[in-house]
Amino acid sequence: MGDPVTWILGLGTLIVSAFLIGHLLLALVLIIPTWRICTRAGFSGALSLFHLVPLIGSFIVMAVLAFSTWPNGEASPGRR
Amino acid sequence: MGAEIAALMGFFGLTGAFAVVGTVLAAWMAWRIVEKAGLPGWTGLGAILLTLTGVGTIVPLVLLWVFAFMRWPRDEPAAGAAPGFATASATGPAGGAGPSAPAALASPSMALADRRGWQLAGTVAGGGIVALAVDGASGTYVLTAAPAALPTDLSLPDPSVGRPHARLLAAGGRLGIEDLGSAGGTFIDGARLLPEHGPRDISAARAIRIGSVELALSRA
Repeated sequence: MGDPVTWILGLGTLIVSAFLIGHLLLALVLIIPTWRICTRAGFSGALSLFHLVPLIGSFIVMAVLAFSTWPNGEASPGRR
Repeated sequence: MGAEIAALMGFFGLTGAFAVVGTVLAAWMAWRIVEKAGLPGWTGLGAILLTLTGVGTIVPLVLLWVFAFMRWPRDEPAAGAAPGFATASATGPAGGAGPSAPAALASPSMALADRRGWQLAGTVAGGGIVALAVDGASGTYVLTAAPAALPTDLSLPDPSVGRPHARLLAAGGRLGIEDLGSAGGTFIDGARLLPEHGPRDISAARAIRIGSVELALSRA
């Protein structure tokens, strides 16, 4: 067994790395469809990269899509 | 011990409150987003509320992918559109959804087709008034900022108008418009027309915006 401090630091690094990779993978699964939704609505696809922001990123993207006028047009009220 | 338990309960209560507020907010925004795409709002609401059920977040995630890649009703032509043209998402008599729209009436027969021409009138930059006449019988016209070089060129001398900007198609008493990839954009009663939408029927539209030039459409 090595130094306990080294062992704890290694474990911490492993846990943080696992969280980071998990977050990136989850964000990627959200970014791909959101990128397409944003471009179809007329916004820049890069808006979907807000999903990389933990906790509030998804809310920011949704808020932009929900409360702004879509440059590519929206369905008329009669269609809804 | 009691204080620790109370603090723990308070922490979970606070977290739960944030979760409830977040879920309600997300459901409301999802409602609005799917409505803008032309789907019923409850589908977005339901997708978010599914996270509260046993299916977890997998099903809403799948639904997000489906929503992103499905065909949106916003992009589909309205029912009753004439062959060759898709009806614009117009308001008023053209929409077919308002109470004044005679949706139940059959299309007029060819013998009764309205052969009058069309007129597009508006004001360009600098205050100049333009009035463009389109023959109602048949023909293709190009809206451009450049001076008219051909009889079928309709000149709109405005910096926001492309060279060319859009194409007008008259056929069978109907008028269509197609955007030619202009930077300033083409709008039918406020709805953006993209080049990939192809020609759209504007026979019942009231206002066409070419770049920043607002044109009122009427029969000549």
